[in-house]
Amino acid sequence: MPENIGEFVFPGDVVRDLKVVNGVILRGPGLHSHEEPNCLLVTRAGKLCFKPPNVYWVEGHFKRYYPKKGDLVVGIIKKSGNVCKVDIGSSEVASLSLLSFEGATKKQKPDLQVGDVVYAKLLSAHREMEPELVCVDSYYKAGKLGPLSNDGFVMNVSLNFVNRILDVNSLLLRALGQKYVFEIAVGMNGKVWINGQRTIDVLNLMNALLAAERESNSNIVNVCRRYLT
Amino acid sequence: MEQKKNAKLSRAVLEMKFMKKTKERVEKEKDDAEGEAMYANEITEAMRKSGNINFTEVGIFTCKDLIEGRLSFNGMNPEIEKLMNDYHQKLIKTDKVRETEISDVEMANAYSSTVNTMGKKFETKRNRKKNKFLKPSDD
Repeated sequence: MPENIGEFVFPGDVVRDLKVVNGVILRGPGLHSHEEPNCLLVTRAGKLCFKPPNVYWVEGHFKRYYPKKGDLVVGIIKKSGNVCKVDIGSSEVASLSLLSFEGATKKQKPDLQVGDVVYAKLLSAHREMEPELVCVDSYYKAGKLGPLSNDGFVMNVSLNFVNRILDVNSLLLRALGQKYVFEIAVGMNGKVWINGQRTIDVLNLMNALLAAERESNSNIVNVCRRYLT
Repeated sequence: MEQKKNAKLSRAVLEMKFMKKTKERVEKEKDDAEGEAMYANEITEAMRKSGNINFTEVGIFTCKDLIEGRLSFNGMNPEIEKLMNDYHQKLIKTDKVRETEISDVEMANAYSSTVNTMGKKFETKRNRKKNKFLKPSDD
C-alpha cells in the first residue's frame, strides 16, 4: 500500500508499493506505467485516490478531456455527412457514423445538422486514431443515447465537477429534481446539456450548476437551498 | 551474431540493391515494434506469468461509483424516466447504507431505555425464581 494515498501528487512523482490482485492493477486517469517495473508515474497534478481492491487514479481540477473507451459524452456536430465529425472537447474531433443509430439504414438515416447535440458512447479511443462514437449499445438499441432536442442548452463544466455531480452520494441533482421539471445529459467530457419547460428554469439550473462548481460537497446543499426557495 | 542483428543500418545502406532482404527484415521489425506499442494496453498470458505487475487503463467510470448522466425529472421526458431504474436502484442502495450507518449508533442510544426495561423484566423473573429456591434454605 503506497504511503501517499489521499495526498496531493505532482506530475513526475512515482507511486510504489502498489496493492495487486492477480498481478493486475487498474489505473485510472492521471497515471502511467513507469519505465521501472511495478511502479506508476503520475502525469497530472491532483489527489491520489485508491479504491479496493486494485484501482488507482488521480483526482484534480482538469478541464482537458482525454477520450476513454466506454465513456458517455455530449458532443456537438461540426460536419455532417455519412460520417459526422463531432466535437467532444478532445484534441481531435470524433467520428460518428449515421448508421450507428437505432433503426438506421442506408436509406433511412437520422437527420443531423451542424450544431446539433448528441449523447453518445465512445466505441474506441486509441492514441493514434480519431475517437469513434456510437449511439447504440451492443444490442443495437438506443437506450438513453441519441440526438438531444434543439430546445436545450449546452454548457461546459470542469471534469471533476462532472464526477462530483454524477457521484451516487451527490445530492445536487436530487435536490434540483425536486423543484424543477427538467432533463439533463451530463457528458464525461465536461459538456452538460439541460432542457427545461421554461427558459427561466434552464437559466436557474445553469446558475445553480455554476455556483455549485466552486463549492465543497458539504456546502453544495446550502447552495441548492438558496436556489430552491 | 546478436550484436550484428541489432546493429542499426543507415537508410542509404538499406536502399542498396543487395540489401533487399535486410531491408525487409528491418521494416518488419519496425512494424512489430509499432504494433506492440499500440497494444501495450492489452495484457497477454505471457505477461501475466512474467511476475511483474500489469497495468490496465480504465476510465473514471470504473474508478468511482458513478451514475449515468442522462436523467429526467418530474415527467419532462417520460422515455428517459422509464430507463432510469438503474439510477433509482443505486440511490436506494446508498440510502440503505446511510440508514444502517446511522442506526448502528442511534439504535444503541434510542433503544437503551427499552433494553433496560426489558432487562429489568428478566432480572425480576430470575430473582423471583431465585427467591423461590432460596426459601427452603432460609430456615
